[in-house]
Amino acid sequence: MKFFQATHTFDHSWAQVTAANWMKYPNEQCPHVVAVDILDRHIDPETGVLRTERLLTCNQNAPALVLKLLGGSAVSYVRETSELDPRTQTLTMKTQNLSMCNVLQINETVTYTVHPQDPSSTLFSQEAQIVAGSALSRFSSYVEDFCLTRFRDNAAVGRAGFETVLEKFKAARLEAAAQLDKLEKAAATSTAASL
Amino acid sequence: MSSSIGEKCTKIKQEYDSCFNSWYSERFLKGDASPMCDDLFFKYKDCLLKTLEEKKLDTLLADARKENPFPNTSTSSSSSSSTESGKKE
Repeated sequence: MKFFQATHTFDHSWAQVTAANWMKYPNEQCPHVVAVDILDRHIDPETGVLRTERLLTCNQNAPALVLKLLGGSAVSYVRETSELDPRTQTLTMKTQNLSMCNVLQINETVTYTVHPQDPSSTLFSQEAQIVAGSALSRFSSYVEDFCLTRFRDNAAVGRAGFETVLEKFKAARLEAAAQLDKLEKAAATSTAASL
Repeated sequence: MSSSIGEKCTKIKQEYDSCFNSWYSERFLKGDASPMCDDLFFKYKDCLLKTLEEKKLDTLLADARKENPFPNTSTSSSSSSSTESGKKE
């Protein structure tokens, strides 16, 4: 078993980050995620927590030979469950791979919380557990190390992809605000002119 | 906006996503948790469930849910029946 851990600060508010999180895909850096489906979504009537279960469909970029040897297919599935507490402003997401679990199990937990030192930014923390299955017992350590490296690289790419998404939304917000400002000024001018 | 696993579900899925995204920012984060997109969600889910069955992913998901229940009743403070009684959004 191998562990991966990382933290990152997004320079956007928790509200913005969590709103963008629902629209994270598609993004250029993560073309392997080809579909995102919402399996279930409800609000806990007692706690007000928003619970979502999603299915991510991914095109695997593992070498064809590896897939053939391990009996995997080019398409893989990931189940993601999330709990979003608007009161504590915490979003926790857990993912597990549904494909090739007997070969390799990757369990990931990420949380998004308001940064304790800077409420205008968001603290992201990520933890993953990589376990090679019995099918690979002889090579499990090697495979786990290989996957840990891949996971680390992919995590960085995933974060970069999300940053791009966040910047796009920020630009759209600023653009909308500028338009609104222009309209308001124009309206004020025309009102003044008609007086 | 992301596609659905079922090609024929993508259109309704994206309509639902648009609705949900506005609901999330304009209502939910402002303290109003009343549902707004239920009709779209049920239509989309209908289509999705058929696709999952066709692709034989329903059993894969059922197994995953058995192994990792959500919500996890041991760590969750809410009752286990919340999925049925909870407000659908």
